[in-house]
Amino acid sequence: MNPPSLRFKQVLVLSTAMLSFISFWKAASVVLCDMGSSAFYAGGIAMNAFGPAFPWYVLAVMLFSGLMLMVYVESCAMFVRGGVYKVVNEAMGHSMAKISVSSLMFDYMITGPVSSVAAGLYVSSLLYNIMPLMHINWHVPHKLFAVLFAVTVTAFFWRENIKGVEESTDKNFKIMGFVTLVGAVLIIWSLSTVYQRGFKLPPFDLKFTSESMGWMTNFPYLQTIGLVGIFMAFGHSILALSGLETLAQVYREIEDPKIKNLKRAAFTVFLFSLIFTGGLTFLASSIIPQDLIGGKYLDNLLSGLALELNGPYWARLVLQCFVVVSGSMMLVGAVNTSMVGSNGVLNRVAEDGILHDWFRHLHKKYGTTYRMINMVAIIQIIVIIISGGDIYLLGEAYAFGVLWSLVFKTLSLIILRFRDDMPRDWMFPFNIKVGKVYFPVGMSVVLLVLITASLVNLLTKRVATISGISFTIVFFSIFQISEYMNRKKAQLYMPDDDSEEKMNMRKEAEIANILPELDKARKILVPVRNPSNLVHLKSVLETTDDETTDIIVLAAKISKGIQLEGETGDMAPEDKDLFTSVILLAEKYGKPVKPMLVFSNDPFYSIAQVAHAAGVDEVVMGVSGTTGAEVQLERLAIAWGMLEKKDNAARSVMAKVVWEGRQLSYKL
Amino acid sequence: MIRQSEEVTLASILKSDYVFFLKGRPAKEEVVKLLTDGLYPQVSNFVTAKALYEKVTEVEKLNNVLETGFYIPHAKLAEIDRFYTALAIIPEGSLDPKSGITVRAALLLLTPNRPVFFQQHLNMLSKLSRLFQPAFMDSIVAMKDGVQVREAVAKHE
Repeated sequence: MNPPSLRFKQVLVLSTAMLSFISFWKAASVVLCDMGSSAFYAGGIAMNAFGPAFPWYVLAVMLFSGLMLMVYVESCAMFVRGGVYKVVNEAMGHSMAKISVSSLMFDYMITGPVSSVAAGLYVSSLLYNIMPLMHINWHVPHKLFAVLFAVTVTAFFWRENIKGVEESTDKNFKIMGFVTLVGAVLIIWSLSTVYQRGFKLPPFDLKFTSESMGWMTNFPYLQTIGLVGIFMAFGHSILALSGLETLAQVYREIEDPKIKNLKRAAFTVFLFSLIFTGGLTFLASSIIPQDLIGGKYLDNLLSGLALELNGPYWARLVLQCFVVVSGSMMLVGAVNTSMVGSNGVLNRVAEDGILHDWFRHLHKKYGTTYRMINMVAIIQIIVIIISGGDIYLLGEAYAFGVLWSLVFKTLSLIILRFRDDMPRDWMFPFNIKVGKVYFPVGMSVVLLVLITASLVNLLTKRVATISGISFTIVFFSIFQISEYMNRKKAQLYMPDDDSEEKMNMRKEAEIANILPELDKARKILVPVRNPSNLVHLKSVLETTDDETTDIIVLAAKISKGIQLEGETGDMAPEDKDLFTSVILLAEKYGKPVKPMLVFSNDPFYSIAQVAHAAGVDEVVMGVSGTTGAEVQLERLAIAWGMLEKKDNAARSVMAKVVWEGRQLSYKL
Repeated sequence: MIRQSEEVTLASILKSDYVFFLKGRPAKEEVVKLLTDGLYPQVSNFVTAKALYEKVTEVEKLNNVLETGFYIPHAKLAEIDRFYTALAIIPEGSLDPKSGITVRAALLLLTPNRPVFFQQHLNMLSKLSRLFQPAFMDSIVAMKDGVQVREAVAKHE
């Protein structure tokens, strides 16, 4: 009697979130939920630091954000997963990468508290106006309320992140839609008010407080240089730039055409930030009386703008409600983004072995890296409590991480221009070609601005300098010690399997269960085996319209004997390597694929079976170094024939074998 | 480049004289040898018996027995300009030690080694694996001679 049927017993379907891609609108909304939220507090903090000239500097920072977004576009075009750590690591090595990540972590640790406290202050100001109308004579101190609100929000997202609730780009998109609507009403109403009252440009004079001068008071000769003052003010406003790193995190999820959509997303972010953060700050300064900006509206500037417009009080109060609701949604979203982002960065560095495995321990129930999340949430809550709800204190501490991570990132990209002469999909403009190198004139100017602002900030923002450097040293030490311990461990044990892409595998007994998920008009099956031989998948991703075509990536794992009679295996490390390469390639082209793993003792039969069941139009194979293209086609033809039933109308499929510069195509 | 399919029937290339009923339970290698020796008179003008056997066995290193118990040793020869076949029927079966499958029929297929024939070659391989299903093999192992087998092929093809 012949052995058991060749039919595979189980299909493993990869369902990682990274395999679906998002539009540039959604990508922009994710970035803006973080970056745009600074509109709610940047103006007030800048006003507190250097007086009524703040709108000019917030606007200048927003214009500068356009240049930084271009730096990020070049970086993302080079590395699909090109956050600060990756780029600095490539250009300046491990140690500098660790320092840059440490400063970036500091940014994340402050982003959460500054956003949640700002949201608390906005809600508190709204309650302050509404409660008397409801005849509730109960007044909660603003700052105490803000602290309680911020701790509650942080605790909520702490729990959500432990549970592993995925951040939904749809939710971000809806929030940004609502914020844009409220922002548009606010801008139109403000313009109408300005038209009626007349418009006066804010002054250029800088009036630094002794607090905002920091250690600069010890260098009186520097104060006589006008440019130093400009950079001091610029440095106090640069916190409006926070959130750029989110663009690097979200780039991997942007759909095809990847670079074009990245540029669109970056431009959308720039335009929104310029109009929303820059424009509204400008309008607020011209509508709200100066004493109120520096007084009761200092920590809720846009609420103040709503309340100081022309019109009946009830209508202004309704607008304030919308401003507070939309602002809180955005700010609260930024808290989550900071937690997700810091957890992501820590996971990334942990994969590289510079964070001890203790941190990577997975939650028993939810499978999340809960120790990292705990650490981030606890630090954020401590920061909130220490701040006592003082947004200016938080603003003072902010920007250290933003600036230094941007310095490292920009410097790294400049170094890579000299070290890596591969053609770029996109380059920051203003370059001079010298031999093979495009000398980055434009980016060097950006770096000069960043370094100057960072150095000036070291002197002026005492809280940021002390806390930022301390935090960076602590985190850098953790990374150093972890790396040392991991290196010692690596000498004793085999490499850790967890250093692979996180794979969410779903088991299905029948291929038929997966068919409803393949609903596009055309289908292409791409069998894969070797992570270093994916030329055929690359060719499919380059030429296929994913709007109309499902791309099924199939790994048929040879498994003889017991597994086919009953059990099936799980993913082995080599399967993870293979699918990691598949995911990275799909990410590079921004096209979704449906990866599957089947266990079979005849891979060609499995390929034919899946192709037949799914009704694919093409099977595109990579050439096998062992057998050669013709033998592969012969074996597929034989397998295809075995599946064809005599009485059924014959189905045909295009079988291709693709390798560098060549392909064979035959109809089966 | 996509090449168009041109239909070649098995019945048109399988001669009844080249259908062999093998007795006993020969090894897979013996089946291949018997088939190449049996088919050789058809191609003796183009290739030596030794060269033919070597070519077929070289390809066989990569070939698998089908789960249905059908086996298709095949080779492409530059010297020929049409398809040649020979069919071995093994009523008692031949055990393939590599797969554990009992082979009941094996068809040697020689194809001209030119690109224009490769599409037909693939079509023929598909056709063979589709035709030689267990029920069909049950019927041909019970037949008495090549004429009956060829008629069955023509009928079911």
